[in-house]
Amino acid sequence: MDAAKTLGKALVASPERQQEADSDIVVVRQVQAGDVAAFDQLVRKYRERVYGVVYHLTSNREDASDLTQDAFIKAFQSINRFQGQSSFFTWLYRIAVNSTLTHLRKQRLRTFFSFDKMDPEDTVSAEVIAALTDNTGADRGTFAHELQEKLNEAMQKLSIKHRTVITLFEIDGLSHQEIAEVMDCSVGTVRSRLHYAKQLLQSELQAYIRR
Amino acid sequence: MNSTPKKTTVTLEDLLRVKRAERPPPEFWAEFEREMRLKQLAAIVEPRPWWAPFIRVGARIARYQVPVGAAAILALSFVTISEYRSGMAVEPSLTIPESSLARVSIPAPVRPEYVAPMQVAVVSAPELSSEIEPAAPVVVAATADTGTSSHVIPLPTMALVSAEPSPSARAIAANLEALRATDPSIIDEVFGRSHVALEVRQPVRDPLEQLGASRDSRRARLLAAGMPASSANNEFVPVSSSDRVTRSLTEERLYDSVSRVGVSGDRVAIRF
Repeated sequence: MDAAKTLGKALVASPERQQEADSDIVVVRQVQAGDVAAFDQLVRKYRERVYGVVYHLTSNREDASDLTQDAFIKAFQSINRFQGQSSFFTWLYRIAVNSTLTHLRKQRLRTFFSFDKMDPEDTVSAEVIAALTDNTGADRGTFAHELQEKLNEAMQKLSIKHRTVITLFEIDGLSHQEIAEVMDCSVGTVRSRLHYAKQLLQSELQAYIRR
Repeated sequence: MNSTPKKTTVTLEDLLRVKRAERPPPEFWAEFEREMRLKQLAAIVEPRPWWAPFIRVGARIARYQVPVGAAAILALSFVTISEYRSGMAVEPSLTIPESSLARVSIPAPVRPEYVAPMQVAVVSAPELSSEIEPAAPVVVAATADTGTSSHVIPLPTMALVSAEPSPSARAIAANLEALRATDPSIIDEVFGRSHVALEVRQPVRDPLEQLGASRDSRRARLLAAGMPASSANNEFVPVSSSDRVTRSLTEERLYDSVSRVGVSGDRVAIRF
């Protein structure tokens, strides 16, 4: 059963991901052997991605920072229980997502937005903002700020599970299989949630979509 | 100078990619690392609470809460039913010896004018045995002076006494023994008679109704005065004495008695 599971993962995971997972396992074994400083390598490698997931789920930079740190601490405390049945990256993501979901459920009634600034060097966002402001003549900086608010509002209107799926797939670029592993559900459920979440976002952001 | 290529269509995926551009500044990570180090040290120093493993186990079990709950309910039901059945199995059964069966004599319903005395055989306390044969039918014999009819009524098994006398029964028996030793006359007086003849009280009947058939003429004469004229020729119908008095007051006599009494102001006049 475990062999079949591993084989299934190997078939799904890309070669880059597989290589990454193998290198992670080596570091994890070092940490498990007592080399605590080796854990810093893992923190530096994944902190931005983990922070990105948590930030897009919460839309609050302070919460995202705290939750990311907590996820790494939990991973550090539980590293001896990591058996290598999944990749370290998936395991770490699962810890981070579960901590965030617990936090969001507790703080459901009070949500505060606190955004990170948009990276001006990012070409994709520059293209989109240019396309949306060309005919209107609006100031790009102001429009970017407005678009950022609208995007975060639309994301927060999704349920926690739908938000997680859309974040992991569209923003973080995980595959359906990886999302299923992180969220501990089937690939079909992931696809269904993704479809539904996109429909909702489409209706929310209709004003910004140009066909 | 604008180096970005022209993009005419904007899809939802494009909009979501814009969100990727939301990144913290580089100095944020320096602060992040410092805080992270502090938390890491605190986590090492801080002892984990003793109940932390239980939370982990509980979280794992929570996934299977529906089947675990169903299994628990099923197990509880089985235990309850088995307990109930074992309780039923040791339920004591009382067997009444044939000699102690109640013998009841009741009047046969053939002659309504005669009510025979009823004899009831009362089972005395010492005769009650804890070992009583099961399913013994109670025989009820109905006897009368003129005819006897006997009925055997099978009754369901009576469960009265446990196989082993209860503590209260033992205490009562001990008290009785002590009383028998000190004053046996009381015991004989209270429990000695095993057969008590009960004189069944005759139901209250109208004395006129009790008159025999040979005295019909006399009864007719006696009733003639009391009964109204309209009912004189009717068949005899037993009525109560108040009815008879009411019927004996004809309208004429009633008006006559009313006219004898006169009320005027504060005076009452009665004419004889």
